[in-house]
Amino acid sequence: MKVSKNELLASLKKAFEALGFQPGDYYDAADMVVWLETHGFYGFDRLLAALTYLNTTVPVHADLVQEDAHNFVLDGKGTSVLLCGSEAVDLIRSQVMKGSCAGLELINCYNRTFIVQRLIKAAQRNLAFIAYWRQQDYCVKVSVKPGTHLPEYQTFTMLDVVDPQSLRIFCGKSLDAIEEQYVAELEFGDLLDTFSEAEMADSYRNSLEEGIEIDESLWKTLDSLVARVLVQSTDSSRAGAGD
Amino acid sequence: MHNVSQQIGDHSDAKALPMRPANQVMQLNRLGSLHQSRISFMRTLVRRMVAENWQISSPVFDLDDQGYGTVVYQIDAKYGTFSYVLFSHYLDPERRNDRVIADQWDLTMALCEGTVDTKQLDFLRNNVPKQEAGRVDSRVLVLSRANRSARLFDYVVNELAQGSQPEVDMIADVGYLYRTTAAYGSGKLGMADWEKVWTKHRDFARPFAAEMFTCYMLRHFSMQQADYLASQRSPTKAVALHEDIKRYIGIGNSTGLGMAPFLINHPLLINQWIEMRETALATAVAASESGIDQDTLLRFDVSIQRVIQHLNEIFTADERQSRANIKVGEELQVLHAWLNEQGAVLVENHYVWASLTQYAEQHWLTETQEVINTLLIELYPELVDGLEENMWVEESYQVTPEMSVAELLEVIEEKYDWALAIDFSKYESMGAFWYRSQEKMEPRLGQTNVDMGMEKEMPLGIGRRVRECYDRIYVYNQTSPNQDVAHFVVQNPTYSGIVARIQTMAQSQYGDIRENLVHTDVLPIHLLRCKLSFFGVSKFDPRSRLWVRNTMFQGAPLISDFGKVFADDWQFPIKPNVISE
Repeated sequence: MKVSKNELLASLKKAFEALGFQPGDYYDAADMVVWLETHGFYGFDRLLAALTYLNTTVPVHADLVQEDAHNFVLDGKGTSVLLCGSEAVDLIRSQVMKGSCAGLELINCYNRTFIVQRLIKAAQRNLAFIAYWRQQDYCVKVSVKPGTHLPEYQTFTMLDVVDPQSLRIFCGKSLDAIEEQYVAELEFGDLLDTFSEAEMADSYRNSLEEGIEIDESLWKTLDSLVARVLVQSTDSSRAGAGD
Repeated sequence: MHNVSQQIGDHSDAKALPMRPANQVMQLNRLGSLHQSRISFMRTLVRRMVAENWQISSPVFDLDDQGYGTVVYQIDAKYGTFSYVLFSHYLDPERRNDRVIADQWDLTMALCEGTVDTKQLDFLRNNVPKQEAGRVDSRVLVLSRANRSARLFDYVVNELAQGSQPEVDMIADVGYLYRTTAAYGSGKLGMADWEKVWTKHRDFARPFAAEMFTCYMLRHFSMQQADYLASQRSPTKAVALHEDIKRYIGIGNSTGLGMAPFLINHPLLINQWIEMRETALATAVAASESGIDQDTLLRFDVSIQRVIQHLNEIFTADERQSRANIKVGEELQVLHAWLNEQGAVLVENHYVWASLTQYAEQHWLTETQEVINTLLIELYPELVDGLEENMWVEESYQVTPEMSVAELLEVIEEKYDWALAIDFSKYESMGAFWYRSQEKMEPRLGQTNVDMGMEKEMPLGIGRRVRECYDRIYVYNQTSPNQDVAHFVVQNPTYSGIVARIQTMAQSQYGDIRENLVHTDVLPIHLLRCKLSFFGVSKFDPRSRLWVRNTMFQGAPLISDFGKVFADDWQFPIKPNVISE
């Protein structure tokens, strides 16, 4: 079946609300899922993986465990980027707005691809981002120029051993500035693949024009989550609607 | 009267009126007193259709002798072609229900992009009559439904069938042949996203333009169906509805709480609407800087008399609204008399409108003030109509993480002083809560500790959330002075949403609605009227504090008027003088 972007956003917000997300968190999480799905990054598959965890625990946020003038370490305590991605990006953003480049490591977190939407949104404030993480036996690198709406998305072979559940984010006024300051941390192996901007743009255009294809069982899963935030209707409650 | 004249006429300290402050404009009571204006969505849509001479034909008009069947209108607008598909069904009068929870209607409609072939028509026939229980696709821009005013519709058809025109007084009592109970767009039920509409379809690239057009076409069909049924009943004797009466027929509308959360959840958009309206008002007031000409004065006086008549012709069972209508009429009579008495002097004076609005604020009802404001805006189409292009804004709410918490405290104290002034320790300050019902997710208002569902409360109590956030930041600032908002949010992640809202809205001129929306005595009807005024409706008839009846497009030009000279003065409709032929 096909759904619209607005319809999907509305459903996801309520579904995340049902899972205990707070206002703000559920808006951000819905945006992250929709962005990935509409730009060809299999957002629904990643959502299903996240729901397996989110449906069995109360929302967990990351803790700030270490910081100095230019670097932060956040411990995700096994949570999803859907819950802690915004905080991580805001934290690094605050540092760059005050000075030069900054780096952040988010350890012990899952569903890291969702971070792309948060980087794109933050880049609208004239900031550049580079993020990378290990995916199975290769490395994903995402670069976002200031003010752009699409990232550069590449995969590389790994040079060093990278923690399987960590995410590194670097922020600065430009990609060159980041590359220069964090040259040692940004060394990768051979380029494996690139997901082109044209592919992302085509995917988005098609989503808008034709609607977004969603598996009916996932739509029903979302519906059942949404039902948790609804209140049973009674004669008394109908009076509260103007009867 | 003389005293009034002296006070309004005293311009010694008058000067150009700046934009009104948020603490005046964003009061719920004032927002609930607004009327349509030149930049309301129906007004701008009608201007566009008439000026661009949209061509509307009906390639399918397949109704039986009872008026049931299928109609497809083809709309050739300036930039694109669209189809308005309508299904007319028999509805058991016992099942006629205007509430959102209804599941059958007299009419169901869809506005689609392009032309509609047989296959798509079959698809629509299988889904559109089901409304929320069906699914449509991204070729559909709007889905809507309507119920007949059985009393007026049957009367009109009978009169026409007998060869006579209906009594205008009968029309005035109701105002419409059909009333719409919903017009869904923006991607609901699989429809095209708003982003698709505004990027692909320039004809409807303004907020709610497609939804308003759907209601306009319903009005057109309602009169065409009445003519059709009369001619079916008495082929030789029937007459067509008089065009002046047709213009006086609108579309009824009932609006309930479903509309209320929109105003709270889209504060940047509401800010934009209010800012444009206030800009129009400030522009109109400033236009009297070097005096006003006789013609402008005359038009203003004529419009005042028209509003007085309009108010006299409204019947509402709501006592508060009825009293207000009477009082507004009386105060406008005073203004009318003053204009006649002082006219010659006024054209010589500077800043007349500034003095008038100041006087009104000091002496007259808020409703009267807002009528006057609307009428002032009407006087200067060449100065204000361009604002209609600025009624949309892309909404993005984002934390400003580098801001110090001390600065955030100051921002809240300055911009949300109204929220901090509310004493939430009082029971009545949190005596109500908003929730979504299982019945079509309809938003409802519950009574705290009485109704079920508090644990599923919708976060619409912005004032309370701001207060809680402020208190938390205040304590945080004591223990972590000089810290920034990013660190506060990491340690207090549940506040990220309200922090983003506060920091985003603090950069806007009007921002949030300044009311405690979880107070026991909150009047949601003011929220509804605010939004409806921007839609462009008239004849507000509150049925309770939770829902309001109103009329859409009453007085508006007909399709046959498109492409002709157009005065664009159909606001505040009054009974036409129809001479029997």
